[in-house]
Amino acid sequence: MNLHYVIKELYHRRRRTIVSVLGLSIGVALFLILNALSLAYREAACAPLTEIGADITVQRAGNVPEELAGAVFPCSALTIRREEVNKIEKIPGIRGVGQAVLIWVFDPQRAWIVLGVERDNPIGPAILRSFVTEGRFLDDGKSEALIERGYARQFGIKLGDNVSVAGRQFPVVGLVDASRAPKIAVANLYLPLKEAQDIAASSKPLQSVSPFAPGDVNLLFLKVDQQQITAAAAAMKSILGEKATIATPESFLKLLGSLFALSDKFTMAASLIAMLIAILIAFKTMAGNISERTREIGVLKAVGWTHRNVTMQLLTESIIQCFAAGILGILIAVIVTFGLSFMTVNIPIPWEMSPTPHFLPGGGEQLYKTLRLPVHIPLKLAVFALLLSVLIGGLTGALLSSHISKIKPSEVLRHE
Amino acid sequence: MNNADILVGTNLFKRFDNLEVVKNVSLRIKKGEFVSLVGKSGCGKTTLLSLLSGLEQPTGGKVVLNDKEITSASEEELALFRRAHIGFIFQSFNLIPTLSAWENVALPLFPIKMASDQRHKRAVELLEQMEMGHRIEHLPAALSGGEKQRVAIARALANHPEIVFADEPTGNLDSATGAAIMIILNELHKKQGMTMLMVTHAEELAETADRVIRMKDGEVIA
Repeated sequence: MNLHYVIKELYHRRRRTIVSVLGLSIGVALFLILNALSLAYREAACAPLTEIGADITVQRAGNVPEELAGAVFPCSALTIRREEVNKIEKIPGIRGVGQAVLIWVFDPQRAWIVLGVERDNPIGPAILRSFVTEGRFLDDGKSEALIERGYARQFGIKLGDNVSVAGRQFPVVGLVDASRAPKIAVANLYLPLKEAQDIAASSKPLQSVSPFAPGDVNLLFLKVDQQQITAAAAAMKSILGEKATIATPESFLKLLGSLFALSDKFTMAASLIAMLIAILIAFKTMAGNISERTREIGVLKAVGWTHRNVTMQLLTESIIQCFAAGILGILIAVIVTFGLSFMTVNIPIPWEMSPTPHFLPGGGEQLYKTLRLPVHIPLKLAVFALLLSVLIGGLTGALLSSHISKIKPSEVLRHE
Repeated sequence: MNNADILVGTNLFKRFDNLEVVKNVSLRIKKGEFVSLVGKSGCGKTTLLSLLSGLEQPTGGKVVLNDKEITSASEEELALFRRAHIGFIFQSFNLIPTLSAWENVALPLFPIKMASDQRHKRAVELLEQMEMGHRIEHLPAALSGGEKQRVAIARALANHPEIVFADEPTGNLDSATGAAIMIILNELHKKQGMTMLMVTHAEELAETADRVIRMKDGEVIA
């Protein structure tokens, strides 16, 4: 193999070289872009959960409260008993559990959406501590409250005021900017979990619909091993019954409805078809190039090139073209995905996960988590595409050259 | 085989399908001899040259070239043998269109382990010998017919061959250019003692050789 000769061949037959390199590079780029989009939609679908530090959220639906007075549970989040939580904690793959209590409180002056949070648990609504814009987060063991900033402004509630919720007084120690906070488990008023559990346990209207003991909750946030999410979700369903609402990245992906989000198989099939078409274009161009050079190969053999010499020459030409196509394909894919990364994606939040009652202003609106499509080409995928491209070059070159280099020089030089 | 014989063909036959192109040909060529093989088109002279040079295997008979029987050699062995001992000049030059003049000359040297500057030096020397020193970087498309054949002759000499086979070396050239090429071939023979077997259909060119072998209908007639 003579690299000087290889480069000259590719340079002087540049039209064919460009066609085969471009053909394959477009295939490589499509392969990368389709897979990157699929990964991006999957990553985006995880966003509503990851921003609250969880992989799965769990609720249980039930009956609507008979009367909207005092503290009640939303019909989408009824009691999850202590013993059920204990069973869930023991499911294989569960790495951590966050708990919360969501209550609607209809006081004579105003309605509250109250969320009881575990102050020190990084899984679940305690993540709100980074969205406190005034004052401070909840202190350990104290009976105090955080108020959503917009709600506080609407009702003239200030830092240091006392608010009355279900007949209990709470000093306001901080304001939370909910517009930047996670879309799941937002509320007007945030209390320590224990305080919310006490309100729920002492509410007769709530107890009449969904019996609640002081250790119970009605929202669970779970960290789960990625490979065991589906199995864990199924196990939870069997513990909590058919009315359990288990939100997983997969369920958000289904809500997105994009072709890229629907199935790995679709992406794999589409990208492989793109790659296959590109391979055929490259193969046809390279085959045309080699068959045009039958006479040249006869000359090489006449002047003493062996079958191996000729094969190595053609193989190297093919591998170099495909390597260049791989690099160009990666560049094209990086540029296209950079453009696509400016796209935004709206992930619908299911109504049962929306904390606002549908009969209150804004409560009936579909909630979305809006984010920029997190599309990028993973290094491993790029390396795989490059190796695949070189492999295609090697196989194409080997196939074409092994056939053509068997030609006897006399066969092509006979008919001068 | 006589010590002075570099090439001996014995009872050579070549058949393509039902057509016998070479019929029981035997010949000997001595080292340093310039032999021309003359005959009308289609008489089998190019096929005989292919058999004698190892480009083609005979249907019958044997060829001994430089003390090696090449009729029983494999394709790989033949390629290596041609690389080491034989130079070829073709009617239609057969230069590689993407390589410059010097690269075409160096073509037989590419598969050999050799420093690239040595390869370049050898190619340039040969081109200068062919009075082509001013055209070393030109592609074949930029050369005239006579210049192309000079490059082809230089390529045939690149590997220091012991015998050069020339197949109608002036066939694609006008008479003046053809005559100049014949002068070069004769000088190679006379000054460097190169053994040559030249196929031609032109009697006047054949007569410039030391010996003329005439063919008709696949047989040597004189």
